[in-house]
This record gives sequence, structure tokens and C-alpha cells, in this order.
Amino acid sequence: MDLRCVLSRDSRGTVHASARALVGGFVAVALTWAAPVAAQSMEDAIFMDRRVLCAGLLYTRDQWSNYWEGGLKRDNGNVGTVTTQAAAWMGAYGVTDKLNIIASLPYVWTNASQGVLGGQRGAQDLTVGVKYRAFRTPLTSAGSLSGIVGLSASAPTSDYTPDFLPLSIGSSSKRVTARGTLSYEGRNGVYVNGSAAYTRRGNVTLDRVAYYTQNQLFLTNEVAMPDVSEAALTVGYQRKGLVIPVVITRQTTLGGGDIRRQDMPFVSNRMNFTRVDTRVQYVLPKLRAVTVHAGVSQIIAGRNVGQGTTLMGGLLLVGKL
Amino acid sequence: MLTMIGLRDTFGFVVDRRSRAPRIAALLLLSIGATSCDKAITQTESLEPLIATSTDAAAGTWRPIVLTSTSQIAVAAPTAVTSDAYKAELAAIKSAQRVITPVQQERVAYWSGGGVLRWNQLLRGLVARYNLPPAPRADGTYPGPDVNNPFGDPAFPFANPPYAARAYSYVAVAQYEALKAAWYWKYQYNRPSPAKTDADVRQLVPISDLPSYPSEDAVLAGVTVAMLQALFPASVEEITRRGADQREAALLAGKATSSDLAAGLALGRSVAALVLARASTDGTSNAVGNATLWAALADSARAKGETPWLSLETPARPPMLPNFGFVQTWSMTSAELSAARPVAPFPTASAQMKAEVAEVRRTVDGLTTAQRAIAQKWNDGAGTYTPPGHWNDIAAEFIRDAKMSEVRAARAFALLNMSMHDASVACWDAKFRYFNPRPSQLDVNIRTDIGLPNFPAYPSGHSTFSSAAADVLGYLFPASAAEFKVMSDEAGISRLYGGIHYMNDITAGKSHGARVAAFTIRFAQSDRAQ
Repeated sequence: MDLRCVLSRDSRGTVHASARALVGGFVAVALTWAAPVAAQSMEDAIFMDRRVLCAGLLYTRDQWSNYWEGGLKRDNGNVGTVTTQAAAWMGAYGVTDKLNIIASLPYVWTNASQGVLGGQRGAQDLTVGVKYRAFRTPLTSAGSLSGIVGLSASAPTSDYTPDFLPLSIGSSSKRVTARGTLSYEGRNGVYVNGSAAYTRRGNVTLDRVAYYTQNQLFLTNEVAMPDVSEAALTVGYQRKGLVIPVVITRQTTLGGGDIRRQDMPFVSNRMNFTRVDTRVQYVLPKLRAVTVHAGVSQIIAGRNVGQGTTLMGGLLLVGKL
Repeated sequence: MLTMIGLRDTFGFVVDRRSRAPRIAALLLLSIGATSCDKAITQTESLEPLIATSTDAAAGTWRPIVLTSTSQIAVAAPTAVTSDAYKAELAAIKSAQRVITPVQQERVAYWSGGGVLRWNQLLRGLVARYNLPPAPRADGTYPGPDVNNPFGDPAFPFANPPYAARAYSYVAVAQYEALKAAWYWKYQYNRPSPAKTDADVRQLVPISDLPSYPSEDAVLAGVTVAMLQALFPASVEEITRRGADQREAALLAGKATSSDLAAGLALGRSVAALVLARASTDGTSNAVGNATLWAALADSARAKGETPWLSLETPARPPMLPNFGFVQTWSMTSAELSAARPVAPFPTASAQMKAEVAEVRRTVDGLTTAQRAIAQKWNDGAGTYTPPGHWNDIAAEFIRDAKMSEVRAARAFALLNMSMHDASVACWDAKFRYFNPRPSQLDVNIRTDIGLPNFPAYPSGHSTFSSAAADVLGYLFPASAAEFKVMSDEAGISRLYGGIHYMNDITAGKSHGARVAAFTIRFAQSDRAQ
């Protein structure tokens, strides 16, 4: 298989729609320390047609100067502004019109503007998922309702350390996410998606033999990672090669301890956040194989995460194989 | 197109690009398998019920450290095992055993692993809990931990490495003193344990021929609770509960009657009072210093033509315990401390120092994954049980595997921690005499892979602690001496990998630690415990 992306004659609608399907996940790459990558990648209702491949690169740049130490919002002069950047490769492929495969692999690098702590860099976690449309029902004169289920798995592709937060590039935890999405698409271009996901996270191994969290000393290098749930609501508009979603996402970590006063974050902390993001995706009119993406997101509330603002941009190529 | 880089390493099979869908389904299933198994984690330092290879019947004659003699604190003679009072105590054990709850059984099993080992684990947890520096105020100054307001922000104490080294040593020495005293009285009175005097008292744990009056479990509870309450006052509730659990477990297990426990508790508390009296005048209360002292340290370095150490934290934080070098040691006189002090580091403007800085830069810029893992392994920074805690962690498994009696286990921890406390005092004495900058101060491009400690570089505290610990452990467990040396060397070099120490800090710290350990070993050789 090669990288040629030939514009499919009949796939124009699929082109930008599938691009939308991808972007959500990659906005999450760099948002907060250890935020599950690509957790959102399968949140929406759009499918690639059979034998259509969409692939490309997205760049994200997340910055925060304030973070929540437990419930306390603060800054920290020893890191200043923490910047996490990611260049993510991603692809989606239509096995059938109702079954898509989605994959992503980001390269992540971090930096602190103050203090002496060195930024980290490396290939992060490979995510591979399948997404299946279980039903699509036309509604009386109003549009259609569809239901989608998805299953994805992530695993680290390099031996980066999860024990240097907030500058670690990820949690190094293997993860499996199950997701269900209900999508309403109106005839006027407005669509609404509701999505819920549950992520099971495997234990993490540290380079040290003991650690302290949740008011307890653990005499082991193994860290139990609490599972994560997520709910997302999208209101969007799509018309003529243009897609503009606005998404509010709430991630809840189902366990884990708070960052202690003046401590570093720890990989199994209870990391919760509510995030709003919006994106614009546009199919170039004279080059229909190319979709341009730009987006911004903002954490508006959180616990044990940075209050990140993320900018995103990217290009995806679409073609029939 | 879907380049499956990494799949081979992660999942152990190679993805065939020609038929992706089934393979990806397999990947998903494998990942589910990898993450859906039980999340329970296994703590590595498990303790089986202690069956000591020897009761160490002569421990009452071993050399005391703080006490004037092992019989300094009188313990009244117990009632005879034939008395009605004693029989009533036996009846109370039997009725308690009949209604024992699952929670009580768990506690009996927990404490059967050995009181000294359990308290050492608990102490490491307390150190990790309190090893957090104060957060800065809005005006850029730092509040100090206040012993009179231990629950405040910051909490008291800040159990940093010197504080922790001292705490580990005081707890271990107090336990060792109390147990030697207990052994003295045990073999004065020779009262058997209840399970040995009454066949109807069940033995829920292995019970040796060690006389039970005063109870070693209650001695340990009494002495340790009193020490820990003083050192970690904000955890008084948990500490007190643990002590009560230990005493209850001894009774339920058939090891001790209520009078064995009462005598032990009183003895333990009395020993703690004597040890705490020493602690209250050992110089620690002056260790923090004040703004005048902090400025004088920098002025003194400048007067010698040296670049003084600067805090690289934002806002700048006062140095950690600059007067800790004046705290009383266990096995060295102040003259011996001075004689053991390392020579001065290279002048900050010298060519050797530039070469040292360049070496750190080169190391962090080219750091390998294995080197970073070593830096992380020995980081033992804020929020952890500190380097002395790490060496207690290492020692605990050797002490457990050697199946030492409680009093011999206490000796091992006492010697180890006396040595590390002395190493801490000696190292801080040198650090604040030389006031040498950290690598990142002399080259701002040196970015660290672990937190940068907020005190001068030379000599390396990790190296001093580790070398002192390894030598004492090598003395106690000669068959493993080489293993301890390897660990100590790795702990030392980890600081170069972390980007926070020059090589000269490490070599000076290692030899300094060895000189300190020699004093501890000299004491051990004459303590009559051989």
C-alpha cells in the first residue's frame, strides 16, 4: 500500500466528515499531562466509505501556567509555563461503510519555561480502534439518528518515563476504551452527538521501588491505574466541505489521589477536567483530497491537571485505495 | 499505510500488513487481555510470621547507647503464674480469642511479621508523607513548618533527608535501647508466655521460648509511639492506633498477658522519654538558621573568591537546614567529624571545575534510557522516603531473611541509621562550609532529569548516605557486602545522570561516607552483640 490519496468521486461528503472523526482524538494528545490520547477519536457518527483511506498529520500545542493541585488552583515558578507539543500521524480506513479502523501515533515533546527540569520527548502511544455503526434510523422530516459503538486500544511505543510529570510525555499505561455514541443529524446541517466512553487502564511500572500516593506508602514499582470515564456533547454544523463542531468534554478518573501540597503530580492521580473545544475543518475546493484542520480548546475546570489551552492544526489526505 | 511500528515490541507478534482487519481485532483483544486482569498490585516487602533463629538471650548485656545501663529503668517483678491475678489474665486471653474478629486476625497476622520491621515500614511511610517542602507565600517568601501547628500549611515536619536520617536513627536507637532493657528484665523474671503456661491459650503466631514479661511487643509499641508522636505529631492518631493494634495483637496471639503488656508499655515509654531528652538538646532546633546566617554563608564563599551557591527555585528558597552540620552525632566526636571532612572542592573559577561542569552537561545531553532509569530509581526526592529511607528499604529484606530476633533486628536498624545520621551531619557540615553551586547554576543549559535539591552540591548527600549505609550493611551481612557496594556506587552515579552533581561531589561523598561508617562499625565491634 502506498501513500497516494486519490480523490474518490463519490466520497466528498465522507472526506470532510471522516476528517472530523479523527481530529477530536488528537486534540487530546497534548492537553493535560497523561490525558488519554485519542480517547475521543471515535466519538462521532461519521464513517469512511469502503476502501477509503484518510491519513495525515496533526500538530498540537498545549500550554498552561496554572494547574490544580487537588482542588487548589495555583501557578509554580519552578516550571513556569509548561508547553506540550505533539505531531501525530493518524489514519482512518473504511473496511466497510459501517466498519472503520482508526489509528494514531503521536510524537510528543515537553518543555518548562522556568526552572531546571528538562523537557522530555519521544514517540508516545499507538492507538488502534474499530468503530461500528449499529443502526441509522431516518426520523420524520427532521434528519436521522444513528448509534455507533467503538473499541480502541493504546500502548506505548517507546520506554518513556511516566514518573516525571508534568514533563513526562504520557502515562505509559496500556489502555482499552469502549465507547458509545448517539448522533442526530439534521437536514439543515446541524448535528448533535452525545458520547460516553470508559477506559480501562493497565498498571504502570516505575523505575523506583516505592512511591507514596493516596495517603499510603507502596513498597512496589507497580502502580494501579484507576479507570477513566468520559462524556462528550457535540453541537456542530456541516455544509459544503466545512465542518465546525463545538465539543464539551468531561473526563473523570475513577480513583487515584490528589497531588499533595507542593508535590509533583503522580501518574495515578485523580485527573479530572471539563474542556471546551471548537474546530474548523475545511476541504480545499480546488484540491478535494486535502482537508485543512484548525482548532482551539480550553480546559475550564479541573483537578490535578494543568489548565491547558491547546491550538491544533493539520492536514489530512483522503483517497480511495 | 497503517505503519504498525512498535506493535512487535509491545505485543510480541508481527503485524502482517496484507490483512489488517483481523490482526487489528487480535491486537484489540490482546490489549483487553493486558489491561483487564486484576489490578491488584503486589507489595514486594511481604513479611512472613517471624520465627527468629535465636532468642538472643544475652541481649540484656549488650552495650547501651543512650541509657546508662540496660537495667537503668526498673521493672517491678511480675505476679507468679500460679496467682489468681495471672489466671484471670489467662482467662481474659481465652475469652478474647473465642470472639476474635476477622479484622483482629488480620492485625495478628500483620504484626506477626515482626514489630521492628513493621514499624520501620510505617516510619518510611511517615517520612514520605511529610517529605514535602513548604509552598511559597504570595509575596515570594516561604513559611517554616511549625511544631506547634503541625496540621497547618506547611505541615510539620518537612521530613527532608537530614530530618529523615535523624528520625530513622532516633526511632531505631530508641527501639534498640528499649528492647535491650526488655531482654534484661525478661531474663531476670523468666515468665513464660501465656501459650506456654496454659495449653488452652491458642498460639495464633509462632511463639518462642522468649520470656514474655515485659512484652517485647508492648515495649516496641510504647517506645515507638512516643518517638513517632514527637517526630510526626500531625499523625498522632494513626500512630497511636498502630501501637494499640500491636499490643492487642500480642494478647490475642497468646504471646502476652495484660500485665506483660502493661510492664512493656511503661518500659517503652520510659526509654522513649530518655531518648527524646537527648533529641531535644541535639542542636536540631537551630538547624534551620535565619536570614542573617543564609547571607553570611554566601558572603563567606565570596570572600574566598568563590561563586556562592544560589537557590535555583522560583522564588528563591532558603537553603535546607544549613546548621544541620552542628547536630549531635551518634558515634563521632566533633573533632572526629572535622578530621573526616573532605578537602575543599575545586575552586569555582578553576579549569577542573569547568571540566566538571562540562562533564555534567555532556552526560545529561547524551543521557541513555538506562541512565535515566538509574537516576529515577535513586531519585528519592521530595515526597519519597528519602535516601536513608531507601537504604532502610534495602536493609529490611536482609533483616527479614536473616530471621533476626526483635532485639537483633533493632540493632541492625540502629547501626544502619546511626551511620546515616552521622553521614547526614558530616555531609551537611561540609556542604555548608564549602557552599558550592549546583551544575545548573554554573551552566544554565544543564537541565535536570530529577528535582534539583535546594542546598549546595559538594559533597553529594546520596553518595555519603549510600556509602555509609553500604559499609554498615556489609559489616552486618558480609556475604552481601559486594552487592551493597554496587548499589551504593549506582546511587552515587545516579546524581550525575540526573544532572544535579559533579563527579567530584560523588567521589568525595563516597569516601566521606566510608570514613563515617568506620566509626559506627567501631562501635558495633564492641557492643557485645557479636
